[in-house]
Amino acid sequence: MSEKTLHLRLGIFTCLVALFLIFYAIPSFVFSPSNVGNIILSPLFWPYVLAGLTVIVGLGLLANAVTSAKDTPFEDEETVHPEGSAPWMRLGALAVIMVLVMVGLPTLGMVWTAMLAFAACAFLFRTRHPVAAVVCAVIAPLLLYAFFAHVAGVAIPQGNFVRLP
Amino acid sequence: MSLMDSLAAGFSLVGNFEAFFMLFVGLVVGVVAGAIPGLSATMAVALTLPFTFAMTPINAILLLLGVYKGGIFGGSIPAILIKTPGTPASSATILDGHPMAERGEAGRALGMALYASCTADAVSNLALILFAGWLASFALNFGPPEFFALILFSLTIIAGVSGESLLRGALSALAGLLLATIGLDLVYGTNRFTFGNPNMMGGLNFIAVLIGLFAIPEIINMAWNPVAHLGRTRALGKSRCSWADYKNSFKTIIRGSMIGVFLGSIPGIGAAPSAFLSYSEARRTSKNKENFGKGEIEGVAASEAGNNGVAGATLIPLLALGVPGDVITAIIIGAFMVHGLQPGPMMFILNVDIIYGLFIGLIVSSVFLLIVGSVAIRGFRFVADLPKRILMPGVLILCIYGVFAVNNNIFDVGVMFVMGWVGYIMMRNRIPAAPFLIAFILGPLLEDNFRQAMLMSGSDPSILFRGPITWFFWFLTFVTVFAITRSTLRKKVPLS
Repeated sequence: MSEKTLHLRLGIFTCLVALFLIFYAIPSFVFSPSNVGNIILSPLFWPYVLAGLTVIVGLGLLANAVTSAKDTPFEDEETVHPEGSAPWMRLGALAVIMVLVMVGLPTLGMVWTAMLAFAACAFLFRTRHPVAAVVCAVIAPLLLYAFFAHVAGVAIPQGNFVRLP
Repeated sequence: MSLMDSLAAGFSLVGNFEAFFMLFVGLVVGVVAGAIPGLSATMAVALTLPFTFAMTPINAILLLLGVYKGGIFGGSIPAILIKTPGTPASSATILDGHPMAERGEAGRALGMALYASCTADAVSNLALILFAGWLASFALNFGPPEFFALILFSLTIIAGVSGESLLRGALSALAGLLLATIGLDLVYGTNRFTFGNPNMMGGLNFIAVLIGLFAIPEIINMAWNPVAHLGRTRALGKSRCSWADYKNSFKTIIRGSMIGVFLGSIPGIGAAPSAFLSYSEARRTSKNKENFGKGEIEGVAASEAGNNGVAGATLIPLLALGVPGDVITAIIIGAFMVHGLQPGPMMFILNVDIIYGLFIGLIVSSVFLLIVGSVAIRGFRFVADLPKRILMPGVLILCIYGVFAVNNNIFDVGVMFVMGWVGYIMMRNRIPAAPFLIAFILGPLLEDNFRQAMLMSGSDPSILFRGPITWFFWFLTFVTVFAITRSTLRKKVPLS
């Protein structure tokens, strides 16, 4: 992707977000008492100012994209972004792991969820040390549990099944 | 309280094994983290933060400062050995450090990096001790209009951390400012973007946002390309940095330290520009300027002095004004707040023992850095060999535990994950994360002081220009905006 293309996309996206904020999000989700006489003191003032500035930056990005003469891709494009569908699959799998962590934390408990998340991520990243990964997946969450629960006094979620001392 | 009383109070806080041990541990963690490419000093400080919750404030801050200083030096190890800077601040070290490693002089380059770092660190700490108190006493005259002008000025210097595009940096900062509006309104207590969720009424958790922005994108990036990090390490070689090398580069080191102190004391600039400025000045004035870029030891000294000179100086605006000098000090501000401390001029009156305790700890940190750094140079191989595909899942679960521990709230873990994806999308679109975080911290302060000033004056905006202090910051703001605009236009239309 070139800087021109990037700025064009970002400019359009930024302007749309700013318009969404001005015409829908701020009126719907920012509440102001009816007795505020001066707009400067209203809770709405600051979000509107920021949304206005966002429009300006969005237009700046668009103007930059339109006036920019060079359309050469970024130098590190190939090395940073591998081709094929596998990277997208791994991203999707990582997103699923994160969702499962959120579900697992209150039900399974933090330690067991962390063990599963560690192992799943290590295999997702195609580790060349599967045995070490499994050992670390078991030990690291237990050590962190010992520190946070018994040294820092944090009430680590224990879940509904196996409770740790 | 006299200076001696303040020093005695400081000694009473840090004059124990535990405080110095924490500082030492922090330096070890920082050097190790800095030496692992992809695990930056920022990430290391952010990941260490949750471990400090159960500590006393002074031990917690010393630990984090140790990680910070260790991380900045540690970044030079992979920069010299595998041409991969452990931290952005070490980018300039590659220019001459890696060619030296190619010639089999890695040991000499690393030795110079260490000595230059320790010298610059000591100079920077001295500057902090001399200037922070003076600036804080001056800042006691600040009211809401003065703070508004100061924070506005700090926001304009976000340009310095915007990287390759000012517009993308501005977009990032605006996103941070918008995110900071979530929660109850500061004056009227009405809901803003809380969507009826009580977890959002206090605003988004700062630690969750920062860990999400800085640590999680690296993990997501690992999923995108698990083999991107693979590189070849080099032998240290038999050469060492001699006293003559140090003596010949001493002038460069001191100049680099001064540049670091000057740029570090201005909020928002950070270590990387300082390292490059120091490097270019060394090259301009050196007798061996034709060797720069081909493995000149003076180049290594200049860049390392430049980036380490920033470390102590960034604490000047943090301690004196409560304004973060860079991303790492923004995290350290969070640590102060977690421990019930509010950095700023009042801290020099209410918590003078902590201030002087920190000063003492910082002086000792330069000596500890020399010891830890010497060992790290020999033992780097074990650090560099940590399999990253096991390290990153470890970082993930550390993030989960750490973020949960802040408020004992699973919602914060969700915020961290969401911010992680936001950070990753920003990374993929070359939008820098640093302006986002700085704006997220400064946003509420800017709005709060603006509205307080308006309440004081009955909505008369002239209060924002009420005296010499506000004029001074408005002047600096206009000068900075002018300089940024001019440099942007020059970049756009290159002079032939």
